Amino acid sequence: MARIAILGAGFAGHTAALHLGHRLGKHHQITVVNRTDKFSFIPSWVWVGVGHMPLRKTQFPLAPVYRKFNIRLIVGKATEIHPDERYVLVEPDSGAEADRRLDYDYLIVATGPKLDFEGTPGLGPENGYTESICTGPHAEHARGRYLEEIARMEKGETRRFVIGTGHPGATCQGAAFEYISNIHKDLKKRGLRDKADLLWLSNEQAVGDFGVRGVHVKHKGTLLSSREFIEAAMHEYGIRWQVQTGVTSVEPGVIRWENFEGAKGETPFDFAMLIPRFLGQPMKVLDRDGADISSELLAPNGLVKVDAKYGLPYDELIKTPEAWPETYRSPRYPEIFAAGIAFAPPGPISVPHTTPNGLAITAAAPRTGMVSGIIGRIVALNVAELVKKGTMSHGERMTEMYAACIASMGDSLWDGAAATIMIYPVVPDFRRYPNEEGRDLFVTHMEMGLAGAWMKRMLHTTFMYKLQGRFGWRLIPE
Amino acid sequence: MEFTQRDRSRMNNKVIQFVRFVVLNLAILKGVNHSKRS
Repeated sequence: MARIAILGAGFAGHTAALHLGHRLGKHHQITVVNRTDKFSFIPSWVWVGVGHMPLRKTQFPLAPVYRKFNIRLIVGKATEIHPDERYVLVEPDSGAEADRRLDYDYLIVATGPKLDFEGTPGLGPENGYTESICTGPHAEHARGRYLEEIARMEKGETRRFVIGTGHPGATCQGAAFEYISNIHKDLKKRGLRDKADLLWLSNEQAVGDFGVRGVHVKHKGTLLSSREFIEAAMHEYGIRWQVQTGVTSVEPGVIRWENFEGAKGETPFDFAMLIPRFLGQPMKVLDRDGADISSELLAPNGLVKVDAKYGLPYDELIKTPEAWPETYRSPRYPEIFAAGIAFAPPGPISVPHTTPNGLAITAAAPRTGMVSGIIGRIVALNVAELVKKGTMSHGERMTEMYAACIASMGDSLWDGAAATIMIYPVVPDFRRYPNEEGRDLFVTHMEMGLAGAWMKRMLHTTFMYKLQGRFGWRLIPE
Repeated sequence: MEFTQRDRSRMNNKVIQFVRFVVLNLAILKGVNHSKRS
């Protein structure tokens, strides 16, 4: 009987758990360790943050789902990995001794990001002055603060909103873009839009970069860039923008930053939602004697090193599609896999930049829900094959991966909108597609409209269904 | 680039957007089929 441990029940970990439970649950031991007892559909927290959806509608309890698949759930935090002896130490919420040590034959690290608010002084709702939609409680707090701003605008005050990235190396610009767009739409509906100044502040090279180097599509016979498209959308929504900017600190009512040219400045705000940098979760990796061997498994940012080529300069990385991992397996510990945000990418997708002062301002590579789910499935299928046959046959690099991303720009099913972006491959492959984009320009597509709003809402409903392992769940793609 | 009035009408025209909804879903399913091979 094989023992499979999965750390994390987000898109990657939970998808892996369902596939492994389906294939191995009856005869093998599968254990999931997760910080909470619920699955959270994070993309909908944009709507929680503007008060359009209650948090409970974005979550479901994990235990009943895992019971169906013969998966054991430990609610708690993994604190140490002992790869030489193949066990993980856990701090279980229950305090049960039986849950403290988890021995494994295969380990899937799918722990998602550590939200590095500390990486930017003054960032975040707990010890800082900005809001976040990166956790459920944060999204609820953001909603509360947003409604306070609404109350002030209703009394006639003009308020300044700054939304974007809160660290020079942050990712997840898409979620922040959704948030500022939904704020615009909500304010318009309330008749308060003229009382709000909305500013998009980000570390992207250009508007519409989204950490994927932007997207080019064929539009009315010409090549249109996502920069042009999203700038048009922002112009339409009356949103100002400032890109090529790395936020360095936040004080009450003031955001301090440095831009690509090395100029330093500050931006006043009344309400700010800035995405923090993502690091790996703080887990120790120890050998038999208790010595720290983190560097054997983890990159300096705490993310798990997998079958990627690390250390290539960007100019070389962009020409080396095979630098991106295929099986997401640790080369040092072949029984350890990393899925979703937890694996260390070999570098950024977007063009990096260092200011004359030496500050690196580079949008980090995003791993969306779809990409995380695909990687979770690949890892699960490989682990299942290893258990049954001792070999594995599944793999897909992000330079081969198709992804669809739907950025909500207003959730109304009557007059809302979303930007639907289909991108192939996620990471450009200039060898296979020797064009300006490095992508398949027939498949890569972008459009904006009400259909996207319908699709975004449909995604919420169908994924909440699929991820509870209900009938036909495997037919719904990640 | 700026959105024209025609763009705005198109983006919210219920009939056009219903057709786009169907087309986009089919396009995504077609794209996803590529991933399934992994």
